[in-house]
Amino acid sequence: MEPIDQELDPAEIELPTEPMLLNVGPAHPAMHGTVRIVMELSGESIERCDVQVGYLHRGFEKMCERGTWTQVFPYVDRCNYVSPMLNNVGFALACEKLLGIEVPERCQWYRMALGELARMSDHLTCTGAMAMELGAFTPFLWMIKGREMIWDLMEEETGARLTHSFGRVGGMAHPPTDGFKAHAEAVSAHILEILAEVEQLLLGNRIFLDRLENVGVISVEDAISLGWTGPCLRACGIAYDVRKSHPYMKYGEVEFDVPVGQTGDSFDRFIVRVEELKQSVRIIRQCLARLSDSGPVNVNDPRVILPPKEEVYSSIEGTIQHFKIVMEGLKLPAGEVYAFTEGGNGELGFYIVSDGSGTPYRVRIRPPCFYVTGGLERVITGAMMADVVPAFGSLNMIGGECDR
Amino acid sequence: MPSFKLDDAEIPFEPGDTIIRAAHKAGVDIPHYCWHPGLTVAANCRMCLVEVDPPPGRPAMMLDVLEWNAEKHDYVPQKKPKLQPACQFAAADGLVVKSQSSSHVTRARAAVQELLLLNHPVDCPICDQAGECRLQDYWLEHQGTRKRMKDEPIHKPKGVVFGPTIVYDAERCIVCTRCVRFCEEVAKDPVLSVRERGNLAEITVSPGRELDHPYTLMTEYVCPVGALTATDFRFKARVWFLRSARTVCTGCATGCNSFTDFDPRTQEVYRYRPRENLGINKYWMCDEGMLDYRRIAADRQLIASVDGKPSDREQALARAAELFEGAPPESTAVVLSAEHSLEDNFALLELAKDGLKTSLVYVTGRAAGQGDDVLRDPDKNPNTNGVKKLAPQAKSFAELVKDAADGKLTHVLSLGSHTPADAAALAQVKHLVVLASHVGPLTEHAKVVLPAASWAEAEGTFINRNGLIQESERAVTPRGDSRPAFRWVHELRLALDRPPAWKKLGELRAAMQPASAGMTGARP
Amino acid sequence: MAKALVDLIKQKFPADVLEAHSQRGDETVVVYAPRWKDVARFLRDEPRADMSMLVDLTAVDFPDRTPRFEVVAHFYSLSKGHRLRLKARVGDSDGGNAEIDTLSDIWASANWAERECFDMFGVRFAGHPDLRRILLYPEFEGHPLRKDYPADRIQPLVPYREVPDIDKIPPFRTDEGMSFGRQTHAQRASDDDDLN
Repeated sequence: MEPIDQELDPAEIELPTEPMLLNVGPAHPAMHGTVRIVMELSGESIERCDVQVGYLHRGFEKMCERGTWTQVFPYVDRCNYVSPMLNNVGFALACEKLLGIEVPERCQWYRMALGELARMSDHLTCTGAMAMELGAFTPFLWMIKGREMIWDLMEEETGARLTHSFGRVGGMAHPPTDGFKAHAEAVSAHILEILAEVEQLLLGNRIFLDRLENVGVISVEDAISLGWTGPCLRACGIAYDVRKSHPYMKYGEVEFDVPVGQTGDSFDRFIVRVEELKQSVRIIRQCLARLSDSGPVNVNDPRVILPPKEEVYSSIEGTIQHFKIVMEGLKLPAGEVYAFTEGGNGELGFYIVSDGSGTPYRVRIRPPCFYVTGGLERVITGAMMADVVPAFGSLNMIGGECDR
Repeated sequence: MPSFKLDDAEIPFEPGDTIIRAAHKAGVDIPHYCWHPGLTVAANCRMCLVEVDPPPGRPAMMLDVLEWNAEKHDYVPQKKPKLQPACQFAAADGLVVKSQSSSHVTRARAAVQELLLLNHPVDCPICDQAGECRLQDYWLEHQGTRKRMKDEPIHKPKGVVFGPTIVYDAERCIVCTRCVRFCEEVAKDPVLSVRERGNLAEITVSPGRELDHPYTLMTEYVCPVGALTATDFRFKARVWFLRSARTVCTGCATGCNSFTDFDPRTQEVYRYRPRENLGINKYWMCDEGMLDYRRIAADRQLIASVDGKPSDREQALARAAELFEGAPPESTAVVLSAEHSLEDNFALLELAKDGLKTSLVYVTGRAAGQGDDVLRDPDKNPNTNGVKKLAPQAKSFAELVKDAADGKLTHVLSLGSHTPADAAALAQVKHLVVLASHVGPLTEHAKVVLPAASWAEAEGTFINRNGLIQESERAVTPRGDSRPAFRWVHELRLALDRPPAWKKLGELRAAMQPASAGMTGARP
Repeated sequence: MAKALVDLIKQKFPADVLEAHSQRGDETVVVYAPRWKDVARFLRDEPRADMSMLVDLTAVDFPDRTPRFEVVAHFYSLSKGHRLRLKARVGDSDGGNAEIDTLSDIWASANWAERECFDMFGVRFAGHPDLRRILLYPEFEGHPLRKDYPADRIQPLVPYREVPDIDKIPPFRTDEGMSFGRQTHAQRASDDDDLN
C-alpha cells in the first residue's frame, strides 16, 4: 500500500453512490405494446419504478360516442387485438343484455367456438413471447405456427386475420362457413401436438424454470386488491373464471376445468395459460359437436338486424329497416348495464350507458390488463432488472386493451 | 281537472278535447298520420285507433271476425272490440283507453302500416323526407314485418309540378288530406282536392289553377311522407346532417317562431321550419318567411370597406374611430335599425349617449310590403317595436333624409343595410360609417363599412308587433369578416377610448334589462 | 342476491342513499358524494357484503345536470359472487369542484382507475397518493371524455421539455410528473467533468 493509503481509515472511504435511472421503453422489444418503465436501480435491483402507459391511447371511448352501436365493434376489436373475437362477443352481449334479447342457439355455439379460438391465439402469443424473451426461440416459432393456423381459420370465417369486426348486436355478421367444423377440429388437433412438443422442450429446462419460478411473485391479497382477474389471478390460487362462476351463453353446458396455480409467480402464470389452452380445445370440441349446421344465426328482430340485401333493394320495408338501422343506429333502451365475460386476460367488462337514441352515450371498456399492469409496479419493485422481462411477459399486458 | 286513463297514465283534458289532443298536450304520443293539432279532424288514416272500454254497465261493442288459427289450419270465429279513432273520440272523465297495452291495438297498427306501405315506392334513398318520415318511424316501431302482397304495386304520376314551390309524388302519397285541409282552413284557398278513389286516390290541383297562395310551403311541412316536396329544398341536404337552432323569423313584424336548419360541417343554412307557438304563429309560417333564410347568405357585406375599397377589420375600425374622433355632437347622429336585434340597437344607443354625446337618433329599416290577416304583417322589420321601446324619441328615416339634404349632419353612424325610402341624400353626409350585414343603399354611400353578422349568426332579442319579447338563438358562425354589430360597437368604443361597462353578451343583456322591462317575455 | 346488499346499504346509511334502482339484473345505488368512502369501506368490511374487489371505477358526464359527473364504481365479491354498482354525483356545470374521496387506500385497483378518471374527466380524488394523468401526456390541455371537449380538437404542439437537474435525485415527486426530458448532447457535455 502506498504510504498515503495507510493513513486512511477504511470506514472513511465512502464511494459516492446514487441510484441509477434506467428508462425501459416505450420502444423496447420486451415491452409488449408500448409501455415505459422508469426504474431507479441500485445495482441490479429495482428500488422504485414508475410504470407509464398510454402510448397506445387512441380515444376509443370518445370515438364510440360519435357513431352508432354497431360502429363500436371495430373499436373493441382493436382493444385486445390478439383475441378480438372475445371483445366482439363481450360487447355484443352487453348490448343484448340492455336490449333484453337472446341470440339463437346456433349463434351461441358459434360465438363460443370462435371465442375459444381467439383465447387460444392470445395464450399462444403470450406463452410464446415469454419463451422467446428468455431466449427460447424455437417454442415461440412453433406457437406462432399454431397461431397462424387459428388466424387462417379466422380469415376463412370472418375475412380478416386479426381485426374481424364480426360480431353484431343480435347475432354475427355471417353464418359459419361449411368447412368451419372440419377446419376447427384440425386446428385444435395440431395445436395440441404443438403444445406437447413445447412442453417437452420447456418444462424440463433448468434455465427456463429458474428464470420463472419465484420470480414476479404477488400475494393473493395484493392481487385481489389490485383488481386482477383471469390467468394472473388464477395463478395465485383463486379459481375465479367468469365462464364457470357466472356462466353466459352455453358455458354452463360444456365441461371444462379451470387451471389454478399455487404461488402466484411467473411460472404459475405461464403454466396456467398452457393448461387453459388445452381446456379451450376441449370446449371447442364440445361446441363443434353441438353447433347445428342449419338454422338462424341472427335474432329475428327488425330493430337490430339488417335485412338481406335483396330485400333492401326490392321492398319498401327492407329499405326502411336498413335505413333506420344504419342512419339512426339501432336503438338501445335508455339506461345502463354492465356485462362481463372472460376475456383473454380476465374479466372483460362493458359498462354502457344509453340515452335511448342510436348513439352510445358512454361506452366504458373495463380492460382486465389495465388493472394487471397497475400491479406491475408492485411485482417488480425489489426484483432484479433481468426479472422484469419474464415477469412483465407473464402478465400479458396488451397495449391496445390497457390504453384503448 | 277531468282526466282519463291512457294505458297507465292519467291524462288531464279540457272539455271538447279529443283523446289524441289531450294526450298530445300531455306529451304522450299516439301514432297518427292525418291528425294535426292545427287542422280539423279527418280520421282517414286509422292509425290512431285505440281500445276504449265501454261505460260502466254497458256491454262492449264487439265485432264478429274470423281469424286464422295455425294449429287447426282453418279460420275460427272470434270476437274483437271495435276500436275507436283517438282523433275523433271526445275525452270523457273516467274513460279508460288502451293504446299499446292492448294487443288488438298493436295488431291494428301493424295492419294499417302494412296497408299504407303496400303500394309505396322504394324511394327512401332519393326521398327528401328520409330521416323525418313517419312511415319509416312507425314501421320500425309498430310493424317490423314484410308485406304479404306479391303483386306489382300501383304506379302513379311522380314529380307532378303543383306550383312554383311544390312538387307532388302521387306514389308516395297516403292521401291523409292534411294538405287539402290546410289549404282550405288555414290558407283560406281551397285549391287542392282528392281525385279518384281507392288505390288510385291522389291529390290534385283545381283545374286551371296552380298551388300559388302565400302559404304553399306549409303543405310540404304538414305532409307526413315525402309526397309533397319543396322545390327550394329538394335534393339539397339530408336532414340527419342538419342541426336546428331555435330562432325567430325576421321577415316581418309578426315574429313567427322558427327552426333554422343548418349543416354544422359547412355552416350553411338550408331551410327554415315553423316552430310551435300558440300565441303568435300557432304551427305555421308564410312562404316569404320560410324562404327568408336565403338572405342569410345572399347579398352579404362580408368584408370591411374604406372609401369604397375593401379593407381589413383593424384598418376599417381605426379609420372609423378616426372619423368620429372629435365629432361635434350637434351634427352627429346615430341611426338605429328595426332589422337588428335589441342588443345591437341598445349598444349603438349607448354609444350615442356616452360615447358620442349626441341625442340625434333616427331609425331605418326595410320598406313596407304586403300583409294579410293570416300571418303576414306589412311591416317587414322584425324589431320596430323594440327600437321604439329603446328610443321613443327617435326620428323617422324621412327626417334623416331631410336633415342630411339640409346639410345639418356631418357625422352619421348607422346600423342596418336597408332603407324604407330613397337614400340618395345620404351622399351629402361627409362622414358616414355603417354597420351593415347586407349590401344596400346605406353601404353605397358610406365612407367606412364594418361587416355585421346577420340575425342567424348572433343571438338576438326581438320585439314583435304585439309587444312580445322573443329570443333568437345563434345558428351558424359569422361568415367572412363579419361580427355581431354589438361587438363592433364595443370595439369602436374601445378605439374611441370610451369603453362600455359590458364586455360579454350576458353583461350587455343585463345592462339592457330596464329598457325591455314591463313587456311579456317569451324565451325559446 | 345483490338486492339484499342494497337493503343493507339503505339500512346502514339511510340518509345518504339518494337513489337505488335495478335494470336488467344490475343493482345500482346512488349515494351522497361526501359519504362515498364510508359506504365503500362498509362494503368491503361488512361480512355480509365482503366486496373484495373494486372491479372498475369510472365516470359519466351529464352536462345538463348539476352535479355534472357521475362517478361509477363496480364492486364484486369473490366469496359471495354478488355485484353492485355504486354511484356518486360531483361537479358543477363548468366541470369545477369535482372532488370525491379516493378509494386507493381500500383497494389498490382504485389507484390507476382514479388516475384515468382524473385524466379523462378532471374529477379530483382527495387523498390520492399520485393523482396525475395516466393515458395522456402531462401537457395535454383539457379533459377529453367531457361532452364539451370536441373530438376533433387539435392540441397545441409541446416544446421540448427543459429538464433542470436531470441528474439529481429524486425524480419522482408528485408535482413533477414525468421529469425526464429529451437529453441533448449539449446538456450532457458538462457531465464529463464529474468523472474526476
